[in-house]
Amino acid sequence: MKNIVEVKNLTKEYKNLKAIDNLSFEIRKGEILGLLGPNGSGKSTTINSILSLLKTSSGSIKIFGSEMTPSSYDIKKKIGVVFQEVAVFNELTVYENIDYFCGLYIEDKKLRSKYIDDAIALVGLENFKKFYPKQLSGGLLRRLNIACGIAHKPELIFLDEPTVAVDPQSRNNILEGIKKLRDNGATICYTTHYMEEVEILCDRVIILDKGKILASGTIDELKQLTNIEEKVTIEVDNLSDKIVSEIVEFKNVDTISYNGSALVITYKKGKNNLTEIVDYLNSKKVKYDKIFSERPTLNDVFLELTGKELRD
Amino acid sequence: MLHNLKYTLKTLFRTRALIFWTFAFPIILGLFFNMAFSNIESDEQMKIFEIAIVDNQEYRENIIYKNVLDNLNGEVFDAKYVSEEEAKNLLEERQIYGYLYFEDDTPEIYVRKSGIYQTILKFIVEEVEQRKSIFSNVALKEGYNFNNVAADIMAKLDSDVLSLNNKSNSNLSYTVIEFYTLIAMAAMYGGTIGLSAITTSLANMGEVGKRSSITPTKKSVMVISKTLASYIVALCGIAILMLFLYFVLHVDFGDKILYVILLAMVGTLAGNALGILVASLFKCSYDAKIGIIIAITMFLSVLSGMMGITLKYVVDTNLPFVNMINPCNMITDGFYALYYYTTLNRFWFDIVSLLLFTMLCLTISSISIRREKYDSI
Repeated sequence: MKNIVEVKNLTKEYKNLKAIDNLSFEIRKGEILGLLGPNGSGKSTTINSILSLLKTSSGSIKIFGSEMTPSSYDIKKKIGVVFQEVAVFNELTVYENIDYFCGLYIEDKKLRSKYIDDAIALVGLENFKKFYPKQLSGGLLRRLNIACGIAHKPELIFLDEPTVAVDPQSRNNILEGIKKLRDNGATICYTTHYMEEVEILCDRVIILDKGKILASGTIDELKQLTNIEEKVTIEVDNLSDKIVSEIVEFKNVDTISYNGSALVITYKKGKNNLTEIVDYLNSKKVKYDKIFSERPTLNDVFLELTGKELRD
Repeated sequence: MLHNLKYTLKTLFRTRALIFWTFAFPIILGLFFNMAFSNIESDEQMKIFEIAIVDNQEYRENIIYKNVLDNLNGEVFDAKYVSEEEAKNLLEERQIYGYLYFEDDTPEIYVRKSGIYQTILKFIVEEVEQRKSIFSNVALKEGYNFNNVAADIMAKLDSDVLSLNNKSNSNLSYTVIEFYTLIAMAAMYGGTIGLSAITTSLANMGEVGKRSSITPTKKSVMVISKTLASYIVALCGIAILMLFLYFVLHVDFGDKILYVILLAMVGTLAGNALGILVASLFKCSYDAKIGIIIAITMFLSVLSGMMGITLKYVVDTNLPFVNMINPCNMITDGFYALYYYTTLNRFWFDIVSLLLFTMLCLTISSISIRREKYDSI
């Protein structure tokens, strides 16, 4: 598959901090690449560096086969960016905002008008064309932010946490819109720290932390990186410490946690674990509500790779 | 370019705070000035004022002056014919604005302070002096009608009260001075518009700037179109202010209206350039930059005489360099030059100074904003 973006040995240093540390990766044509990482992991810095907004300490960036510089106007024509913060003019209406940013790429007024209508339809803002940004809810504002970034139908789109602080309906609308963009042929780089979004959207994922790539691959490939093979959750009240400590001794158990209402057991290997625990609970006459087994999620992989301690 | 220009104009015209400070605030300030200074102005309206003439031998023998002053007595001034000692006392007790003392052909004028009536007294003496040669050669021999001289002087007084003011800086109309500095301040407020416009095209100044920076539109096109738009908006503001001053408050800009317009346009350009300089030099938030430009504008306006002409003269006298590089002062000085000077040398000097100031600001700004990658954003 052809590479649309090639990043090699990219490093960005601030005074005493390496925001990006020798990063190398590629974005392939037609895929949605997820850049996943906790806050401060270097996701936005990576995008700003690729876009030639930031000075980098070393490394090279090629987009569409050519080196990316601030004056690479031919490359810029094919790129769309949706930044983390909403970047629109409060003094312009929804339609005017999209028209303004689209007009910086597309001069033909007729074509632009069609593109604007397409963008408005994609993000579902048909009923808000004449609204000013201040009149929009957080979710609608995010959708406008996206429309401004993609109205010119770019071939390569960078979406930097576009769903932060939006309601579930808007998030769903945004995710559906991103899928449509991919289906229409766009290549997308999507940064987020929401695991479920990555699982729904991304063809490949790069997990970043402290400016370094911790892991990369398809979601299935990443899930294989974890030591966990099965996770069993039992909804049960008033479980004694003695029973919990006996379960810990079971074969294959990796970790166990009990919060008073749910017991979560992770296993290193995955054969007959559910039968074993059900038999044990029955033998101890423990009454439970629900019991279910699942494969490890991307969240498990992420937490295992980046650690569970809280970040700023 | 046109697309950018159109939307920048829309954005600027819809920014309420900006419109208030650049359009409404100077007009409101103008109204306050008008109310505050109307009393002072009315005090300065022409009235018959009191003088004294030292009634000595020299005066009685001076046929020219005696005739002219007698004709003007009761029409322009009320004269008391007294001794020198009495004249001094009357002046000391402020019962007269001044007195004339004849020692030879030309009288000495004694006043306590400068003012419009003192200037009129001086004007009368100057007018008589100018006609002296005619009188000596023709009038005395052919029975010249001195009533005509007095009538001539009175006609001049009626039509040239403003030009009388021109004779002495201490007699400047307070209102006119304040309106000059008001126009200068409004022109400098164009800085906030320039600052706002330019901020949205620079990646290190906010999200919209970031988005603009990754488009295929060249930064030079972006900056030039936004500067042009901000200049147009600022010009609209200054035009509305001047129309308001002229038609509503009846401020007299004299007969050199085209020069007045030119000065306002160049002054506004300088204001815009100052805003762009602040936008590009200071690394702080947009709101902080607006605060900085307003503070600078107010400070420069005060130095150029907005809060009273005294400070302008104090600065001009003690720190001339400060007002030489003060664009606000260049604008007010340009207006003074048009109003008080018959030649345009000083006016053109101010225009060139403003253009140099503008070029300096824009050069520094372009050096500062020409970089296209940032250490941090």
